[in-house]
Amino acid sequence: MSEMNQHDHDHENHDHSAAPKERDSRYWLSLDQWAQDPEFQKMAEQEFQSSPLRESDGEDGWARREFLKLMGASLAMASAGCIRRPVQKIIPYNKQPEEVTFAVSNFYTSTYFDGSEALGLLVRTREGRPLKIEGNPKHPMNLGGTSVRAQAHILSLYDPERIKTPIRNLLNKTKTNRDTITAKWEEIDDAVVKQLAKGGVAILTGSVNSPTGRAVIGDFAQAFGARHVQWEPLAHEEIREGQKLSYGDDSLPFYRFDKAKVIVSVDADFLGTWLMPTTFSRQFSKARKDIANMPKLVAFDSAYSLTGANADIRVRIKPSQQIAVVMGLAHEIIVKKGQTRFAGNASVKSALDPFANVASQLALEPALFTKLADDLIQNRGKSLIVAGGLPTLTAQSQDLQVAVNFLNSALDNDGATVEGKNGLPGVGASYSALASLVNDLNKGTIKTVIIHGCNPVYALPEEFGFAEALKKAEMVLYTGDRNDETGRQAHFVIPDHHSLESWGDAEIGRGVYSIHQPTIRPMYDTRSLGLTLMTWAYMAKRGSKRLTTYETYYDFLRSVWKEEIHPKVGKGQAFEDFWENVLQEGFAGSLADSSARNFKLEALSGVKPVSSQGYELVLYPTIALGDGRLANVPWLQELPDPVTKICWDNYVCLSLATAEKMHVREGHLMEISVNGKKHKLPAHIQPGLHDDVLAVPVGYGRTAAGKVGNGIGLNTYQMVSIQKGLPIFAGAKAEISNTKMKYQLANPQGHHSMEGRQIVVEATLKEYLKDPGAGMHKHHVFSIWPAHAYNGHKWGMAIDLNSCTGCNACAVACQSENNIPVVGKKYVIQGREMHWLRVDRYYVGDPANAQTVFQPMMCQHCATAPCETVCPVAATVHSSEGLNDMVYNRCVGTRYCSNNCPYKVRRFNWFNYAKLIEKPMHLALNPDVTVRVRGVMEKCTMCVHRIKAGKSKAKLENRELQDGEFTTACAQACPTDAITFGDINNPESRVAKLFAEKRQYAVLEEFHTAPNVRYLSKIRNDDQETRPGSHGHDSKGGHS
Amino acid sequence: MSQMKRNPLVLGRKSLKDITEDIVAPVESFPSKGWLGLFLSAKTLFIFYIITLGLVVSTGMGLLGVNHPNAWGTMIITFVFWIGIGHAGTLISAILFLFRQKWRTSVARTAEAMTVFAVMTAGLFPLLHTGRPWLDFWLFPYPNQRGPLWVNFRSPLLWDVFAVSTYATVSMVFWYIGMVPDFATIRDRAKNKIRYMMYGALSLGWRGTAKNWSHYEMVYLLLAGLSTPLVLSVHTIVSFDFAVSNLPGWHTTIFPPYFVAGAIFSGFGMVVTLMTLVRIGFPEFKNYITLDHMEVMNKIIMATGLMVGYAYGSEFFVAWYSGNLYERAVFINRAFGDYGWSYWCMISCNVLIPQLFWFKKIRRSIPIMFVISIFVNIGMWFERFVITVTSLHHDFLPSSWGNYAWSPYDTAILAGSFGMFLTLFLLYLRLFPAISIAEVKPVINVGYEEGKH
Repeated sequence: MSEMNQHDHDHENHDHSAAPKERDSRYWLSLDQWAQDPEFQKMAEQEFQSSPLRESDGEDGWARREFLKLMGASLAMASAGCIRRPVQKIIPYNKQPEEVTFAVSNFYTSTYFDGSEALGLLVRTREGRPLKIEGNPKHPMNLGGTSVRAQAHILSLYDPERIKTPIRNLLNKTKTNRDTITAKWEEIDDAVVKQLAKGGVAILTGSVNSPTGRAVIGDFAQAFGARHVQWEPLAHEEIREGQKLSYGDDSLPFYRFDKAKVIVSVDADFLGTWLMPTTFSRQFSKARKDIANMPKLVAFDSAYSLTGANADIRVRIKPSQQIAVVMGLAHEIIVKKGQTRFAGNASVKSALDPFANVASQLALEPALFTKLADDLIQNRGKSLIVAGGLPTLTAQSQDLQVAVNFLNSALDNDGATVEGKNGLPGVGASYSALASLVNDLNKGTIKTVIIHGCNPVYALPEEFGFAEALKKAEMVLYTGDRNDETGRQAHFVIPDHHSLESWGDAEIGRGVYSIHQPTIRPMYDTRSLGLTLMTWAYMAKRGSKRLTTYETYYDFLRSVWKEEIHPKVGKGQAFEDFWENVLQEGFAGSLADSSARNFKLEALSGVKPVSSQGYELVLYPTIALGDGRLANVPWLQELPDPVTKICWDNYVCLSLATAEKMHVREGHLMEISVNGKKHKLPAHIQPGLHDDVLAVPVGYGRTAAGKVGNGIGLNTYQMVSIQKGLPIFAGAKAEISNTKMKYQLANPQGHHSMEGRQIVVEATLKEYLKDPGAGMHKHHVFSIWPAHAYNGHKWGMAIDLNSCTGCNACAVACQSENNIPVVGKKYVIQGREMHWLRVDRYYVGDPANAQTVFQPMMCQHCATAPCETVCPVAATVHSSEGLNDMVYNRCVGTRYCSNNCPYKVRRFNWFNYAKLIEKPMHLALNPDVTVRVRGVMEKCTMCVHRIKAGKSKAKLENRELQDGEFTTACAQACPTDAITFGDINNPESRVAKLFAEKRQYAVLEEFHTAPNVRYLSKIRNDDQETRPGSHGHDSKGGHS
Repeated sequence: MSQMKRNPLVLGRKSLKDITEDIVAPVESFPSKGWLGLFLSAKTLFIFYIITLGLVVSTGMGLLGVNHPNAWGTMIITFVFWIGIGHAGTLISAILFLFRQKWRTSVARTAEAMTVFAVMTAGLFPLLHTGRPWLDFWLFPYPNQRGPLWVNFRSPLLWDVFAVSTYATVSMVFWYIGMVPDFATIRDRAKNKIRYMMYGALSLGWRGTAKNWSHYEMVYLLLAGLSTPLVLSVHTIVSFDFAVSNLPGWHTTIFPPYFVAGAIFSGFGMVVTLMTLVRIGFPEFKNYITLDHMEVMNKIIMATGLMVGYAYGSEFFVAWYSGNLYERAVFINRAFGDYGWSYWCMISCNVLIPQLFWFKKIRRSIPIMFVISIFVNIGMWFERFVITVTSLHHDFLPSSWGNYAWSPYDTAILAGSFGMFLTLFLLYLRLFPAISIAEVKPVINVGYEEGKH
């Protein structure tokens, strides 16, 4: 319109200026004109006297500008008279807080502690609310890696079922009443202080790895004569006991998987759930990056653990064989081959003699056993034997630890790959301590119990008698984020800060301290345990000066850092500088040196062979839920188990032979009787399981976790039996029968064999050394069309399958970053899961003894994308930087793109998922990423918002974009550095270099989709010349 | 050689007046109880269908069994099914017209009506199966204010939009033009004003003059010429939806002829089903739609059944011969996988059962041909199910394999579409002359004595 006006106006101008002078005199309108009468000329000049369109105003007051002004004014008056929708102006900040810029993320260092491992974090916040957990790349242990639970615990902050005020449970005598009322802080504090005066106080917590936490609890316990008991379901007590028996000191050692050339794991799932899995994954994958010298991992596995899945050689065993494996190896090395300093020692020989023929007893290939022994001998001081975790908690768990310690000492690993005392100083959880607390409760000597950070009523078998004993306490106080199973047994439930709301710290290894900063103001009327204890001490006027003086837990924390930690690790810096530095870096200190310790040989004499027949139960924690504390986080419930791929349930894993023997099909409901009690669980047929093993995950069957977690699966902690006060998680005799009733398990992965297709490429180390590109068939592909031109960036991703352990941290990170909805069990069964990034797991080789490969699979961002051509409305298009863009607004939802995607990575919004987000969970949504509406397709964007942000930042700073300056959420979360993102057009970038490696290949390369996501083949260090079975027939069938 | 005499196309020694009376009778008389019963049940099913579609549109596609990896399901299967059925009508009315097949006259009108209703039923599916049906107008290329955003001409779905809408328009016009003289007949016989007005409007001022007839014949011929390529093109383009994608089991060059043959096969199956029913409902029509007519159509069913059988065979041959790992796996899975039953159901209904028509007795037995035609309909629905689902559910990466999550809504949509079709068809039988009066009259043996030449 404006152009047209302009045009008219020019035309008119021309008329005006030119008309009087240059008008062709042959044509005339009137005699006046013909005569060129000046009067007429003047009149002609003003021909359109009243035109509002006249440019020059001069004497005429109604020129165009005025006219427009008046028009505008009258419009404004007219509209002022009408009633319009009130204008609601929003201002991001009335007073802008320091450091916070609207729409710009801030990162704060913090720590996440899951009961065993503490991870250094960078918490991304926007406008004062935490949105995304990232690993702190500088952090000495996890080095930027995170775990699924660290990623997912952000959602527990926004859990609608957190308690918002203190609660009083209206308990009847049997404590079965569920009614609650809101309590006042004063009421609780007064009652508690009165009660504390009676003495007999116990504080029951989970493992406290926080030095400040230990200080505040310690001070409080001292002041009130209280007893501090630490207990966790996954306690690591057996390791500490084993250390004590072997070396005389019960602190946990730190393991150096990065220094080991040969690793033997006996049911220690160090890549998945054992001790510090993220840290260990980092170490392990780092060592394996140097492929020619990659360490060998041999796993003896009773459940199919993630470690077993990543082993070069995985041997299926049952729990009763664990000791035989370790002692048999020791016999092979020390007695048969006469190696190590213990060779010839008579007492050692007599202890080892019963284990002479282990290989044949275990139905192992004797050659494999001998080879392993040789490897260990060759790599003395550079090997590592580990055992531990729930699957080793048999009646002989300490013997196993002693045997492992013996072998590590014999092979000179102690002091080299095993750093005594260096691991997890605060993890002091103990079943025996809890058993003595139960005993005292029953005796009546404990009157008040303060419970924090653990859920014993849920996670202990009835037989342990905790719940019954707790009823005898006069007052039970529970501090936590919800009125859970244990909370319901308490008189008062004291709402605690979420870990993202509170100050704290952690000692993540001896002498390494990590700071835990809050990232949001407490959302509800909550109080941290520290302040709660300080308040009671202050009110009771008892306790140390620091306990009663400080007004906040922050001040207490600072004083502990100032007085205790700073002198140790401050390196002479002034405290304020040190403190600033810690807050910025997230940690302080470094691990102390460690040296070899003396192994007490007398401990070995107690280690006797175990014989066993029949089925043995193995309970194990899952990657997703761990001990079950985060059961109300839907991301975790819907995360498929890395190995079984099942979500939203627990089950009993049976071997193929066992299933066949009992005519079991997937999902048949099995009845398992352990310890005289019967339990019903659906069956999962698990390749590669020992035929006598019944493996069952724990962490499910919560009854008071919340709407999401309640009633999901069965509480299999009830299958634990107690012997001499210690829990038996594995090796218990079990009977099993098939009820033939059907139960549906949700398994989002459809099929578990690669069917001879070139999907995950694998080669043995020997093949690799001959040809780095071994195991893959390179197709000759060509196109008759010219390719897209990428003049600027071309984003690409390389995924190293040799590093990937399948831990799924990337999948949860992606879900958190990209606002991916959770659909629930029913819809997972219907094939409606929404994960943009899934980790495919395929079994390889003989099904009875199957090996595993993992493959993270997301949109491959094909250069010649099949999805782009078939969309009728051009809603998915190719970007100039090589991305396959999905335009949600444009999509009408024909789903043709999904059909034509060979990778099936597109996800459709079958329902309006965004509408189902319950408040305040919507606060966890990432404002940088569109929340999708019903009826549109979605998929991995390669975190295009991060690319945009990175490019904008570089542009504002007027510089070139640096490689590695930003990365995708999945790559950031990966604890093994398996995912590398960057600009392929930049030859110096890490990703471009990986693309040039010989191990690089594209999945379904022969279809010439030319993906920008490439994989690097997996190498197995298993002494084999070639990979049998996995893709031997690929080269025949792969041509097309 | 004494000349072989063809059987008369119209039985019962009808006079011209008889023909008019017989054909117009259903339009001019009050419906029977049988018709009313059928209509009420069809209509109820139709209303149920509307409600089901309403729920799906308002709640989301998730109500149906579509999922990952089967992003297309019942709606697309049933779409192709109905579009296929539509083919027989145009084939009979246009192609057979051009080939001067006189037997077509008495079945053409109803077959064409079937086409129109089948295309209407089918046409709803691609529109409603999108995630956001209220934005379906984005599929049409027209100057717009959205950027302007243009459609993607490379997408077979877009070609589909053009193919189906052209087909629907042309077949509807063709059908209507054919009815104009007959409407005029009803108008002229009308004894009440409403009927007079209604059919007067429908007959477009037809006077039956020589000029009228001359123009009419020309238009009809032209439209027949225009429709003929459409018979081949529509299903060819529908098959492109599958064949142009890269999915094993879809990506084959045999699809266009295979789809067209299958469409004609299923269309004739449906014509036989409907014609046997029309013969029962209007016994007088038995003189016009004779056993000879039915037999000819049964022969076509048998022939096209063999063609699709050949296509099934050649698909398997190519899967083996090409050496394509993925295609081979899809076809082995198709016959022996989770959905093997649907494959064998398709083979027996489409290839084996129609072979019974080799026997003349069976070809001329109304009950048997009715049952066989129903089997053909079932088989052809399963053919589309087999193509759509068995190819999608086992594609390239085994990790994403998964079965279709059939839900009650799928059943409701499938059954409801028959409600829509039957409602329209039953209304047609009472409102429009179901046999072309103007075309039947020229094919009776007027002026010839029986037995003499």
